[in-house]
Amino acid sequence: MDLIAKYFPNVIVNWQGDYGFVGAIKQTLYMTFFSAIIAGILGLGIGILLLITDKNGLTPHPIIYSVLDKIVNILRSIPFIIMLALLASFTRLIVHTTIGPTAALIPLIASAMPFYARQVQNALVQVDPGVIEAAQSMGESNLSIIFNVYLVEGLPELVRASVMTIISLIGLTAMAGAVGAGGLGSLAVNIGFQRFENDVTIVATIFILILVFLIQFIGDVLVKHLTH
Amino acid sequence: MTIPLVELKNVDVKFKSNHKVIHAIDHVNLTVNRQDIFGIIGYSGAGKSTLVRLINLLQKPDQGEVIVNEQNLLELNSKQLRKSRKKIGMIFQHFNLMNARTIFNNVAFALKGTKLSKEQKKQRVYELLNLVGLSDKAQAYPSQLSGGQKQRVGIARALANKPNLLISDEATSALDPKTTESILNLLKDLNKKLGLTIILITHQMEAIKQICRHVAVMEQGKIIETGSIYQIFTNPRQQLTKDFINTTTHLKESINVILRQEQISYLTQEDLTQEEKMFHLFYFGETTDLPLISTLYQKFEVSANILYGNIEMLQGKPIGNLIVILSGKPNMLEQALSFLKEAQVKVEEIDLNLIGGK
Repeated sequence: MDLIAKYFPNVIVNWQGDYGFVGAIKQTLYMTFFSAIIAGILGLGIGILLLITDKNGLTPHPIIYSVLDKIVNILRSIPFIIMLALLASFTRLIVHTTIGPTAALIPLIASAMPFYARQVQNALVQVDPGVIEAAQSMGESNLSIIFNVYLVEGLPELVRASVMTIISLIGLTAMAGAVGAGGLGSLAVNIGFQRFENDVTIVATIFILILVFLIQFIGDVLVKHLTH
Repeated sequence: MTIPLVELKNVDVKFKSNHKVIHAIDHVNLTVNRQDIFGIIGYSGAGKSTLVRLINLLQKPDQGEVIVNEQNLLELNSKQLRKSRKKIGMIFQHFNLMNARTIFNNVAFALKGTKLSKEQKKQRVYELLNLVGLSDKAQAYPSQLSGGQKQRVGIARALANKPNLLISDEATSALDPKTTESILNLLKDLNKKLGLTIILITHQMEAIKQICRHVAVMEQGKIIETGSIYQIFTNPRQQLTKDFINTTTHLKESINVILRQEQISYLTQEDLTQEEKMFHLFYFGETTDLPLISTLYQKFEVSANILYGNIEMLQGKPIGNLIVILSGKPNMLEQALSFLKEAQVKVEEIDLNLIGGK
């Protein structure tokens, strides 16, 4: 404890409270968790729609496909820092503020959703078309093929894509933190960087790294377990 | 007359891609009778796979009618179509099993929509796995199986809903010859045991020869020749058909090998005397039982030097090919030849100059 106090004095000072490490970790987890859930559900839906309306998909539909495809491409092209500014008034409309972790959820979801949708599409398109054809020849409906074939056969790839999305979301929460969302990113920039308290930045980085490694590890174990 | 199981009437399929139109199926008519084993042979790109996909409407025709089990499939709504697809089993070249599921669950998947209880499903799956000889692999995953075993699972899965028709899309093309034979024997067994009608597409004449009763030859989206396997083998009309037959009899190669033998390679047409000629004798059915060669000598004093001989069994009937040099007095030789022709033996003189012995 003395050692920590010697080398990381500001970490001790900034440990407790809403603006300290405890609060920051909670905020980062809160932002990552809820944006991952909501962006995950929406992204999965859009990804599946992209998959099945594609010209080689289950129910090709050029109009739906090209509209979704363009929306996803446009949203993915907007840098997150600009997305924060761009969606400020929309965010205020919904959560009545533009600062704090809840307000950050809106731009986080808007950024992660198209990213994840594309990941889902790419993951599921790798399912062997022959297996899809076999299911069709067995008289399966399209809905059944999506849930019982694509999502089952493509699960390992889907987990990989999800891990990648969550990790990039953690990166985004740190960026959101820098502009008032709180969390570890905010701690590292607003206290560590601006007050020249480098030890805070280092420890905040370590916590983020631990979080990333943990998610990667869980993902790897899951993929290994799911691959036969 | 019994009602055929499958009738394709004037079906036509065109694929459009980048300004190019590919006429995949060109106004084809096809009739397959119940309990038949019907082979469709052709090189890749001939349209075989597209043609069989019309039978369960995995491919919709641009025009024509598809009648299976006395139902016009094009008139069904999607729910009815899915129901009728359950009565048409299909197996594939690359097996198309689901890697995330065990063998048991792969087969059980086909029973998902049925009204069977969990216990009944389990019973049915084991029944099917027994049928294909894989009940000990129920809890394995597809990646742990060999190609032949995977295809057996594919067959069990295809038969889950008790179809009366099985479509085999190059099902043995990815397998080694021994496994191919065992899979073909299994199909033959199923045809006999269950009265299952089988439509088999392949580019291997061996597979056709081994189990099919009828065969159609496809080229560029058209069926260019069709008939019983026996008709096709004994009296092929199209060059492509002859080429395919040659892939199993190896007659052309054999002639070349014979001519390269030392004792013969010196031969030219001039070396054969007036009293010697080289013939290809082709005989089938009852003629194979006659002692042809000895009769030639006894009746006409024509001796035969047999250079090559091959007898194939097709549907239990023999087909023979002989390459011989017949020697005897010219008039006797002629009489001998007309005797052979009367005995339904096809005689074809082989001109050494044309083949180019030396």
